Amino acid sequence: MSTSITCKKAVDYISKKEEGLLTAGMRFQLWRHLMICSLCRIFSTQNKIIIKAFNKEPETPKRLNPEEKGQMIRAAFESDH
Amino acid sequence: MQFTADKEILFSQWVHDHADALYNYAFRRVADEPLSKDLVQESFLSAWRNMESYRGETSVKNWLFVILKSRIIDHYRSVARKDELHGTDVFFDQDDHWQKGHYPHEWISDPLDPLVAKDFYKVFRSCNKKLKQVQQSVFTMKYVDGLESAEICEVLSISPSNFWVLMHRAKVQLRACIEKNWINK
Repeated sequence: MSTSITCKKAVDYISKKEEGLLTAGMRFQLWRHLMICSLCRIFSTQNKIIIKAFNKEPETPKRLNPEEKGQMIRAAFESDH
Repeated sequence: MQFTADKEILFSQWVHDHADALYNYAFRRVADEPLSKDLVQESFLSAWRNMESYRGETSVKNWLFVILKSRIIDHYRSVARKDELHGTDVFFDQDDHWQKGHYPHEWISDPLDPLVAKDFYKVFRSCNKKLKQVQQSVFTMKYVDGLESAEICEVLSISPSNFWVLMHRAKVQLRACIEKNWINK
């Protein structure tokens, strides 16, 4: 098995690593690739930021107005007819 | 619930008490106001039709959430069937290295720094919306609901290899869109 991987493969491994799906060999290949590839290193760092952004996304509370709630109620009652 | 009037009063109370919570939950997962409203509306319709089967074993709120979640999963499944799972990959060249013009660049500030987070999230949300719906669904299941890839594959009836291609493309596209549109790079 070749020990060098492409950038595309590295990006794939970065995602699989999050779930612990890499074998020791794959982890080594990724580590080696990141040592020499600054573009994939940037990708890897920013990928972590993006994942954190999903987790930390501030809630933007939304409300339905009384008319919309009324409509939901009416739609249910009318479905009987 | 032998009297229709009682049933109607109770149901109206449920809508008033829980519609907003359901709406927020749906919106966080599908990021589209009209679609979120439709999902909530359908959930209430289903609750109305099945009111007799509600036995009070869980709270009304939990019961309504179970209904909504199943509607959201139906939505995810329908977009997984409809959206094309693969597309052309413009980010990598024929040797599978980063394509010139699509090189990732360093971001000079931390997007989650409270000073810039507001602007960042504006871009983040609009970039998310530009993804295909199936890609958005996969991200939501993975990073908002914390499901593992195998569970997502099962929900969407897609193969692991399709899942990883989807995930890979979605990540590369989202990152690139943020970089292009976020001033603070």
